[in-house]
Amino acid sequence: MNSVFVRHKWEPYLWLLPSILLMLIFIVFPIAIVFKLSFSHISPAGVVGDFVGFGNFQKAINDPAFKQVMINTFIWVVSVVGFSTLIGFGVAVLLNQKLFGRKIVRSIVVFPWATSLVIQASIWNYIIKYEYGNLNNVLLNLGIIKNAINWRVSYQIEFMWECWVGIFVTIPFVTFCILAGLQSIDSAYYEAATVDGAGAWQKFRHVTFPLVQPSLTVSTILNIIYVFNSFPIIYTITKGAPANKTDTMITLLYMRAFYDRQKGPATALSVIGFVVLCIVSGIYMVSSLRKEEH
Amino acid sequence: MKRLLALLLAALLMVSVISVSTAAEPVTLDVIICDYGPNTQNWFLGNGMDGSNFVKKFEEANPDIKLNLEVISWNDVHTVVSTRISNNMAPDILNIDTFAQYATEDLLIPVSDYCPEELFDDFFPSFIEQSVIDGVCWAVPDLASARALYYNIDLLTEAGVENPPETWAELEDVCQAIIDFYGGEVYPWGMDLTTDEGQAAFAYYAWGNNGGFVDEEGNWNVNRKENVEAVEFAIGLYNKGYTNPNPATQTRYDNQDMFASGKTAMVIAPQNMPTYIKDKGGDINFGVADIPHNEGATSGSVGVMDRIMAFKPRTELNEEQTKARNEAIGKFLTFFYEKENYVGWVSMEDFLPAVNSAVAALVEINPDFEAWLAVLGNARFYPTAKPEWNDVKQGVIAVQQEALVGGDIQAGLDALQEKITK
Repeated sequence: MNSVFVRHKWEPYLWLLPSILLMLIFIVFPIAIVFKLSFSHISPAGVVGDFVGFGNFQKAINDPAFKQVMINTFIWVVSVVGFSTLIGFGVAVLLNQKLFGRKIVRSIVVFPWATSLVIQASIWNYIIKYEYGNLNNVLLNLGIIKNAINWRVSYQIEFMWECWVGIFVTIPFVTFCILAGLQSIDSAYYEAATVDGAGAWQKFRHVTFPLVQPSLTVSTILNIIYVFNSFPIIYTITKGAPANKTDTMITLLYMRAFYDRQKGPATALSVIGFVVLCIVSGIYMVSSLRKEEH
Repeated sequence: MKRLLALLLAALLMVSVISVSTAAEPVTLDVIICDYGPNTQNWFLGNGMDGSNFVKKFEEANPDIKLNLEVISWNDVHTVVSTRISNNMAPDILNIDTFAQYATEDLLIPVSDYCPEELFDDFFPSFIEQSVIDGVCWAVPDLASARALYYNIDLLTEAGVENPPETWAELEDVCQAIIDFYGGEVYPWGMDLTTDEGQAAFAYYAWGNNGGFVDEEGNWNVNRKENVEAVEFAIGLYNKGYTNPNPATQTRYDNQDMFASGKTAMVIAPQNMPTYIKDKGGDINFGVADIPHNEGATSGSVGVMDRIMAFKPRTELNEEQTKARNEAIGKFLTFFYEKENYVGWVSMEDFLPAVNSAVAALVEINPDFEAWLAVLGNARFYPTAKPEWNDVKQGVIAVQQEALVGGDIQAGLDALQEKITK
């Protein structure tokens, strides 16, 4: 009897053990290593040396590119998460309607998400190319423009393109998260609202939106994390050029680690990013969950 | 009976242990080779070496040595090596461009420890000098390339230009003539200020204005007025609309592609450009000339050289093991530079050789090599023997990219000079 009790007590943990071990090895351990490295001197060749306190953090923050990169990271995350959520919400509502060819449209919408980010970014790189770019070719052939346009005329414009590519590839993820939420809403709520005389907007505001909010919270938090850590789009299109003007924190830390051979400050940047991300996601998650409770 | 069996087993175990320890242990060498082009991987690991490959042939010729060879792209090699060093997994043999950082951090073994004398004497002395710090040679050159001006003869002729530009003033005149004739349809001048090769652009203009990275004594001098003028001139070409529109993101390969398709009229490129144009299906009539320079300065090609170096072992070795390892590294080099192997390798990727013994055979294969070897003789190399080189390289690229968006060139170079000399 006693052994059965003990077995029952420990059995769930035993089943969880493989997952816990995997998380420890592939998530917790690397994070701990990065934290340790961020307080260590790392030579340009890569040799890990002595403890240097907050020296790497000082270097990272005093980096001339740091301020610009923080601004870029803020714009990047807010614009990509914000616009992809807005557009994705609209697309999800549309795809939730009974319309002809809905299954095909749903399949098509998932394509950008299913394709590798490097391929997506490379394709957009070709689309907006001044010389022989698809966008210019199409517009020229349609007679909309007479001369090719340089779609990358300044770094600000290039950064806007990068944000657009980010939005484009993120929309499907938001769409399917919201769509899952929409499909779980019982039609009885809408029927009741109709009986009460609610219009389309009132139904959306008082039925759809509150009930889809848990899905929205999940998609937004995951998006903040994914977008903040997104590397391939910016690296493929501009590599942060000119002079880090289009870098975000992730691409800057890569450039510092592997181009400039400043691994110490790069690991410090990584830790700063991790902490910022934890705080932002935490605040958003807590406030959303409170709203849901209300 | 049981005791007897146990004794027998123990004896067998002893015998097997002794036989393992007394047998000649094969030396395994971890080798990293950079990917120079479409044939590198195939030559080292596929069937690009007369139906076989380098590793297979080497191991057949040296059965006591095993090669664990990887071919890694230039985009990734620095990342891979740095990560491996951080994890105490440095390769035994590394093929890469720079060496000074590894040497000053005491990670390499001197060439004299493993390179046979006969082979060492075969290298061009001017190349070997580039890998010497305080009298110790830390790496050997594996190949070299030199840069020159390529110009589209037809495009220039149609625009009324008879000869390629020799000076900066002539370069501006030719660019203007091309703009006047073609409008924006043809870019007169291909420029790469990307993180790929922005340092080469700095060298073209700085050396063409009697400037450079170091002074006569070999000390860093990146903020001298000749360099400031040189960058101002380069950025001026961009501001006047003479270059490709996005030099901070368009690499040398983008420029070469546009030259091959007739979109760009002039570009500075290495000796393998004719093959590149052919591979791209380009059908253009082009010529080769010296890189333009400022009045009163001399033109000189930019030489680029890559190297092979050997790292210290990851674990402590006894004297005998050290000797065996060094001999194995020496055998690797000897096999690589063996005339028939090396000539095949260099000519396959269209590079210039680093050893005297290969010159005659290469000239026989491609008579153009002779002219390029002369160019290489006058070429100047980056000061890669200085450990700060990587900072300087990234620094001049950043200054040029900042200048593209209106940054102060003098202030940028002053800050760089201060950073590397403090």
